[in-house]
Amino acid sequence: MIDNKNLLENLLSAYPGKSMKNRKEHMMIKDSGEEKQHIMANTRTVPGIMTNRGCAYAGCKGVVLGPLKDVVHITHGPIGCSYYTWGTRRHKGRAKDGEKNFISYSFSTDMQDPDIVFGGERKLKQAIKEAVEIFEPEAISISATCPVGLIGDDINAVAKEAQAEYGIPVLAFSCEGYKGVSQSAGHHIANNNFMENVVGTKDREPKTKYPINLLGEYNIGGDGFEISRILDKIGYDVVSIMTGDGTLEEIKEAHTADLNLVQCHRSINYIAEMMEEKYGIPWLKINFIGVQGTIETLRNMAKYFDDEELIQRTEEVIEEELGEIKDVIAQYKKMCEGNTACLFVGGSRAHHYQNLFKEIGIETVVAGYEFGHRDDYEGREIIPDIEMTADDRNIPELKVTKDEKRYKLRLSEERYEQLKKEMPLGEYKGLVTAMEDGQILIDDLNHYETEVLLDALKPAVFGSGIKDKYVAQKMGIFSKQLHSYDYSGPYAGFKGAVNFARDISAGINTPTWNYITAPWKNDPEIEAELGGAS
Amino acid sequence: MARNFINLDVNPCKMCMPMGAAIAFKGIEKSILMMHGSQGCSTYMRRHMATHYNEPVDIASSSLTEQGTVYGGENNLKKGLRNTIQLYQPKVIGVVTTCLAETIGEDIDRLINEFVAEEEIAKDITFIPVATPGYGGTEYEGYYLSLRKMVERLAEEGSNDKVNIIAGNLTPAEIRRIKEILESFSISYNLLPDISKTLDAPYSKDYQKLPDGGTTIEEIKSMGGAKATIELGALLDEKISAGQFLEDEFRIPLYRVALPIGLANVDKFINALSKVTGAKPDPKLTEARGRMLDAMVDSHKYNAQGRAAIFGQPELVYSIATLCLENGLVPALLATGAKTSKLEELLKKDFGLAVEDTVIIDDTDFDTIRDYVNKLDVNILIGHSDGKFITERDGIPLVRVGFPIHDRVGGQRKVTIGYDGSVNFLDEITNTLLDRKYSSYREDMYDKHFTG
Repeated sequence: MIDNKNLLENLLSAYPGKSMKNRKEHMMIKDSGEEKQHIMANTRTVPGIMTNRGCAYAGCKGVVLGPLKDVVHITHGPIGCSYYTWGTRRHKGRAKDGEKNFISYSFSTDMQDPDIVFGGERKLKQAIKEAVEIFEPEAISISATCPVGLIGDDINAVAKEAQAEYGIPVLAFSCEGYKGVSQSAGHHIANNNFMENVVGTKDREPKTKYPINLLGEYNIGGDGFEISRILDKIGYDVVSIMTGDGTLEEIKEAHTADLNLVQCHRSINYIAEMMEEKYGIPWLKINFIGVQGTIETLRNMAKYFDDEELIQRTEEVIEEELGEIKDVIAQYKKMCEGNTACLFVGGSRAHHYQNLFKEIGIETVVAGYEFGHRDDYEGREIIPDIEMTADDRNIPELKVTKDEKRYKLRLSEERYEQLKKEMPLGEYKGLVTAMEDGQILIDDLNHYETEVLLDALKPAVFGSGIKDKYVAQKMGIFSKQLHSYDYSGPYAGFKGAVNFARDISAGINTPTWNYITAPWKNDPEIEAELGGAS
Repeated sequence: MARNFINLDVNPCKMCMPMGAAIAFKGIEKSILMMHGSQGCSTYMRRHMATHYNEPVDIASSSLTEQGTVYGGENNLKKGLRNTIQLYQPKVIGVVTTCLAETIGEDIDRLINEFVAEEEIAKDITFIPVATPGYGGTEYEGYYLSLRKMVERLAEEGSNDKVNIIAGNLTPAEIRRIKEILESFSISYNLLPDISKTLDAPYSKDYQKLPDGGTTIEEIKSMGGAKATIELGALLDEKISAGQFLEDEFRIPLYRVALPIGLANVDKFINALSKVTGAKPDPKLTEARGRMLDAMVDSHKYNAQGRAAIFGQPELVYSIATLCLENGLVPALLATGAKTSKLEELLKKDFGLAVEDTVIIDDTDFDTIRDYVNKLDVNILIGHSDGKFITERDGIPLVRVGFPIHDRVGGQRKVTIGYDGSVNFLDEITNTLLDRKYSSYREDMYDKHFTG
């Protein structure tokens, strides 16, 4: 049995003094005997330690905005940022008949030296004009990159002017890369803009008795397609998805839903909170990753709507879906059982995927987030205790008030309180609840720490991203990308679970692992024979 | 017209300068790169390199925040350097700027000098600063400029019997092939950069944070005393040419040749080697040349039916265009995202009438390329993976070459240089044309001759 405490101490000893102190606060060994354990998160990255974090632009344009199909997303800046977010996140989008789909495009103002010196506003205005004339999008987004804020381009003014001129929404996002401490800042910036300028701008009649929004689901590898399939089958009316396979048109109508489902708490909880405040829509923390997670989610949803017909239909669908997959999953479980995993991913996935791993017999022994906040680890009850830093204050905190016209009470206070006891309504208890005593939680993991942990713990699978994938694989440990799924997926819902079990089993059991040692390494006689023969 | 839109780049056919620097510095022994700016830059570039090379790609960042943009990034850069040194123990640290650092006017030369003066741990480390603003050029310029800065910083006056080879942005496998050719001439050489192992390391259970291999500091130093330089890059500007610097500063004769793809370009490279060494090429090379020629004769009938669009970095486009031209395959469109007038100049000079109808555009994007592809009846695309944007819409097959190849495996192992590499590459192109022909020729014949 490895002593995790010693392991972390050894790991930290390589750092210079201040960095050691800093990194130590971002690690924790779960001990339920302690009353309340804390972990530091969402603080500035230590420079030079090879963080896996991205920037505010990545969180805003790359994560939240990017999946919206009907919008031309213009990156205002030099070419790199736009290029690097072109089709790289694998958020899928399928346009319905007559809908526009710009998912496979990348638009940039491609700023050059003179634009930095003399300003880029004119170029941006012209770029919007060109985009409107040729592509005729339903809306335009402008995402700022590092130089834009520094040279003082007023993208908000340009957006306002363009919106008036062309009569379509033109949204400006000041998501310069240096804002905040990770991509998380960008999520927040995107959320604020949606609330301020999009949600509640168009009304709609519900198509069924159960209108819902799906928040924080980005349709990576088609996850959203599978989730939508299940929700459609049961009879939900999905008003909007934020933002996988989504459209801005649908987000305008999001206030007409009766329940918000929150998949990725980190990137979208701001909107969920604000919509509850402004329109009275409660939100439910859900998890469509893993069969049990999916079942629990569906049951909670049915219970929320408190409709016999819906509850019955839900059970029928669960039974039918389970019937199709359970034997296959059981088969894969036999091939994976008894193994361990280390997960380092996102602001939610290191938690969500633990269920799915468990279902095929794999225990997660280390888990951490790249850009999570303390509430993502410790649960939302810690929020009042989180100190605001200078970096947090640089992201405007949007204050919303009740929309008297559109506010509607969905549940009585008593029913709300009752349901809150039975399901995570307006609640997220954090990653720590998924972990066992003695297991490690680690925030903002870097390459050095990855190497030390993998070497000591030797998990069968490391669930992470492309940047550290090959660190693990060079060490002989199968690595599964949980950001982009290695060109596979979907992994969500019922059918996705089968794909996941298949992929993990293939990785753990690939015959390649048998060939690592060359025959002459084990057999001194062969060497001698060859030597003798020459 | 170079672009469909004046102010909008729609689906870029280029990356930014620091990306080129990142690849160049990976070819230096025990080196690590520090990007001074927002951490997103290093994250994006590591991500892109990892998808292509399938290797760990560690690039440090000074992780500047809003505070740094106001008060300067000095503290972050120095702290970052300290941490990187402690964790990686590199011999060389390349320090490159990003849009952010350049816009706020960071003076990295001064900061590095201060750091070296202040820090004991810095004394055995070689620092190479390079200014690479993302708005100052593409990965093409970033790559060659970094090589030039390494040489400017390190090359020393002297006299030795070595030959300098400045490699273009080739694959690790191609660098290995270059070495084989050099070794066949039995010469000692300085090969800059050498990514043959660092970006395509063999599996080994003991993981090394900084993999073995790469050009050594000593080798770069001795470049100042070499007897000649052969620079693989026919189009690059003198200001970013390491070979030019060595000629200007140390009077080392410079032979500038194209990337050795295609018979004529390989000939020029071999000829240059022969000239500087005074030795005849190994008979194996002559044999390989003959074999390539034989293959060219055999497959010209298929190739003559090809109309290609070739896109990517200028040097690669030039050399692949040459390969096509010498095989009767029409290069209908040559396109690069970098700004260069030399591509057109050089091809017109070398091929005259043969490229009269070829559309040659620089500073372009894939939206424009796609329009030309359709206008010019192109039936084969040759370039990096982003060309799939066109394949997915118009069904025109793409032969993947260059950087990045992120939707197929093996981009790092691909060899298109040398006689044998060129002929394999040519076969791939020819077979792609044949594939297309045989998948539809019965229907085409029927439509043409029976239904008229």
